[in-house]
Amino acid sequence: MIDFLRALQFGDSMFPVGAFSFSNGLEPAIQERVVRDPPTLAEFVRTATRQSATCDGVALIAAHRGIRCGDRGRAETADRALYARKPNEEMRAMTVRMGRKLADAAARISGSMNAAGPALDWWLREITEETTPGTYPVGLGLVFAELGVAEPYAFAVHQHGVALMMLSAALRLMPLHHLDGQAILYAVDEAVADDYRYASGLTLADMSAFAPQLDVLAATHVNAYVRMFMN
Amino acid sequence: MTSLHAAPELAGYHDEPAQLPSGAPGKNGLLHLGFARRDGRTALVGLRRRTPLLVHQALYWDEELPDLACVIIIDTAGGIVQGDRYELEIEVAEGARAHLTTQAAAKVQEMDANYASQSQRIVLRDGAYLEYVPEPIIPYRHSRFITHTHVCLPESATLVYAEILMPGRKHHGELFRYDLYSSRLSVSRPDGTLLFAEKFLIEPARSTPARCGVLGGFHVFGNVLLLTAPERAERVLAQVPAVVDRTEGWAAGASRLPNDAGISYRILGMESEPVRAMVRDFWSVARVAVAGHPVPARFAWR
Repeated sequence: MIDFLRALQFGDSMFPVGAFSFSNGLEPAIQERVVRDPPTLAEFVRTATRQSATCDGVALIAAHRGIRCGDRGRAETADRALYARKPNEEMRAMTVRMGRKLADAAARISGSMNAAGPALDWWLREITEETTPGTYPVGLGLVFAELGVAEPYAFAVHQHGVALMMLSAALRLMPLHHLDGQAILYAVDEAVADDYRYASGLTLADMSAFAPQLDVLAATHVNAYVRMFMN
Repeated sequence: MTSLHAAPELAGYHDEPAQLPSGAPGKNGLLHLGFARRDGRTALVGLRRRTPLLVHQALYWDEELPDLACVIIIDTAGGIVQGDRYELEIEVAEGARAHLTTQAAAKVQEMDANYASQSQRIVLRDGAYLEYVPEPIIPYRHSRFITHTHVCLPESATLVYAEILMPGRKHHGELFRYDLYSSRLSVSRPDGTLLFAEKFLIEPARSTPARCGVLGGFHVFGNVLLLTAPERAERVLAQVPAVVDRTEGWAAGASRLPNDAGISYRILGMESEPVRAMVRDFWSVARVAVAGHPVPARFAWR
């Protein structure tokens, strides 16, 4: 039961990794009217979770597997591989900022309760000494492996988190009923099991992402005057 | 590096064509091009080739950079068909400057078995400068095309790498009807340190690229990578604002790549010509920043 609760706690939007300051590309999409109502929002969020599954999710799984079998090098390789596949600077800023906060928070919380193993301390040191970028999905895979949260659930929490972050931002960026937001989350979560089946068979070299419109929108956001979110 | 043929997206496409077997003579094109400085200009000093790929001798048509070796890659097959296995190796020696393009759009023909592949290895030496600006790629109905590109990039070298992907034979009513387009690229330093990687995997039957956030209703995708040192990349970035022009129907934006690899410039449009023009504009800004000269006006016959 405790693994389920750990997954809930670390995947919760209240967990202080700073997710509330990022929109994962939604802010420029709304500014440019690419997203303008619940149907376009649902499609945009699903595009983002699909990209996340085939890229971030693959790195998360690799890190989880590495830590479970005592091979920390695999987590580090996954981290570098994922960072090298982030073409947008604001997306890179998001993933390393959240990754750093996650490592800090997890080490502090679990350290006081002695729940997590030494891999977490090692990971935090690697990030602090800048020997690894410390991306959020890889950090989450590592933390969940240490806390005994099974691989599919680790993947699922991350996918859910991407959608949740964007929908929370949407509530502040556009007219959206809370229940419409929840309905989108409910529908987007339906795809997580299929996405996991797909991503769990991929290697780091197979990681893919194809979202040029998202990339262009991210580029417009870098120099935008009016912005509530950091991406 | 894992073999291109082991890619999971090819799992359903390993059946042999009823015509020539995959990779048979005539389908296993190879080009090895070596460029080096000779007598104040860059010459094509190394050439190995296997049909159906070939090149003509280096020409010096660029009035802005008269030492630039310009080479057109020719595919005598007239199109890429099922079972084709192409391989390109391009090496640019210290301080050499070359421009590579293709004779015509790469037409990936309709397939009912197997797939076509292309692997490219681009090795740049110190101070080398390469422009690789091929004509667009047109994936026909049910075509499956996979390509891997690896770039070895010293800090002092520059690569301008452009690709334009069409949605199919648009004006024959063919939009995103291909089975698979998979394009992977990685960039590393000569010591093997990975700088940047990307893989575009498009399987329209699984998820349409027309969707919001992917191509978002646009039809033509242009991707230009400027792989160069940060100070040059910054000069280019400052001159290339991100724009979403809803009335004219195009959008484009540049972004700094990870690990000081350079910048990527993505272009979305409805037709090939405006996208080609924007690739050219960006390439010209990049050339000024790196080589001090713009790209000359387009030839009337191109």
